[in-house]
Amino acid sequence: MKPIIHIENVHKQFGKIHALCGVSLDVQKGEVVVIIGPSGSGKSTLLRCINRLEEYDSGRIVVDGIPLDTAENINTVRREVGMVFQSFNLFAHLTVLDNLMLAQRVVRKRPRGESEKVARELLEKVGIPDKALAYPIQLSGGQQQRVAIARALAMNPKIMLFDEPTSALDPEMIKEVLDVMLALAQEGMTMVVVSHEMGFARAAANRMLLMDEGLIVEEATPEELFSSTHERTKKFLGKVLH
Amino acid sequence: MEGQPKPRPSGSKIFYIPGGEALLRIDPWWGLVALVIGLVVLLIAVSPDPFWNIVRFVRDGIVITIFITITAFLFTLVAGMLGGLGRLSQNWFVHGVATLYVEIVRGIPLLVQLLAWYFAFPVIVQGVGQWLNISALAEYQANAIFTAIMGLVVCYGAYMSEIYRAGIQSIPKGQTEAARSLGMTHFQSLRYVILPQAIRVILPPVGNEFVALLKDSSLVSVVAVADLTRRGREFMAVHFNPIEVWAMVALLYLVLTLFSARLVAWVERRYRFER
Repeated sequence: MKPIIHIENVHKQFGKIHALCGVSLDVQKGEVVVIIGPSGSGKSTLLRCINRLEEYDSGRIVVDGIPLDTAENINTVRREVGMVFQSFNLFAHLTVLDNLMLAQRVVRKRPRGESEKVARELLEKVGIPDKALAYPIQLSGGQQQRVAIARALAMNPKIMLFDEPTSALDPEMIKEVLDVMLALAQEGMTMVVVSHEMGFARAAANRMLLMDEGLIVEEATPEELFSSTHERTKKFLGKVLH
Repeated sequence: MEGQPKPRPSGSKIFYIPGGEALLRIDPWWGLVALVIGLVVLLIAVSPDPFWNIVRFVRDGIVITIFITITAFLFTLVAGMLGGLGRLSQNWFVHGVATLYVEIVRGIPLLVQLLAWYFAFPVIVQGVGQWLNISALAEYQANAIFTAIMGLVVCYGAYMSEIYRAGIQSIPKGQTEAARSLGMTHFQSLRYVILPQAIRVILPPVGNEFVALLKDSSLVSVVAVADLTRRGREFMAVHFNPIEVWAMVALLYLVLTLFSARLVAWVERRYRFER
């Protein structure tokens, strides 16, 4: 089967730092891939290359049959790929409802009524329909992140990228975000998740990747990875699992 | 937290600290506007000659000052946006032109710029017109008000460019990334996400510029524009009563500036938002 994300020998350098040293990865439709690894290992950079928020120096990335080369192709891919950030990045000047409607209106050109219907359904789905008219500042971190997920879903993406979605959250808010992500995974959404939430990985991931120094060190199912004999993996998991 | 009394900011109330309840500091100043207007009315009532005569004489000057200020300010908003976006452009040519414009214009006194636009610029246009044999250009004569507004816009557009640039740069990078990740084009993220937030950030300095522009518009009196300042000078030349004339002109400027400062504060408060 043709992979929905095809990454081929991607290199990326920030000045002298080699962030990605020839990474290749295929993700199948409906697959949930969780990427773990120490900070600075290139996992966020790799994720951000998939919708070209980060430019890469060499290599090839093809998403849903569209190569990320021209500006037009990049915008087409971005329409089909939702992204959730560590710091939520909700539009601070807009209400929750308008946050969910803006891209539908200006990118998808959906009429106002339809956009609002989609937005309200998604707020229902992430469990905060009563916050439609609130501003981002008035929400807790967990609520903001659920709005951010809903905002990405409003574009009906084929793929969702999560860049450490729970790292900026208070412990008691992590679960409400992970529950939404878990439900999404069970619906068959293709997901690439950079996260150290091992519970989520165990429950939802089809595949886990360990990255270190710009390379994928190990690639396995969660069960295999957690009992891995690979030196680097054992060392990392020893520090992460308590 | 709802229902409970808001915690009072502790410590010094002399200096404003973000988070303190300092909104009240805006409104009492309407009293100052009323006070100055009261003083003007009092002077006219107590001594109509010369004060009422002065006001009647400079009336059309006030209108011109307001007209020039508002017109120049509106164009300045546009020029500043173009300049600010140019300064942030990744295209080296656009960036270079915008930077050159800002650096050169900021370094030359406004008075010198106005004199150059009024006296030197028409000569250059005429010269070019003769050289190219275009009679419309060769017979070009400077229109005082048009030249004054152009001079003010060019100068204040440069200051405004820097304000726009700083405002746009103050918006976190994540806002652009979120917009772009949803498939918005560069222009769309600027239009719908960055500028609406930047405008709220730059409102206070832009308001300042408006008041500064209002005061600096008095410089156009040297290039044959019959504004408030020039009309005052004309009155003085005839009646030779400098104290009364300049006291009244100063008070009239004060009414205008205080009033616009209150207006600016009001607009600012309306568009205030928390991030």
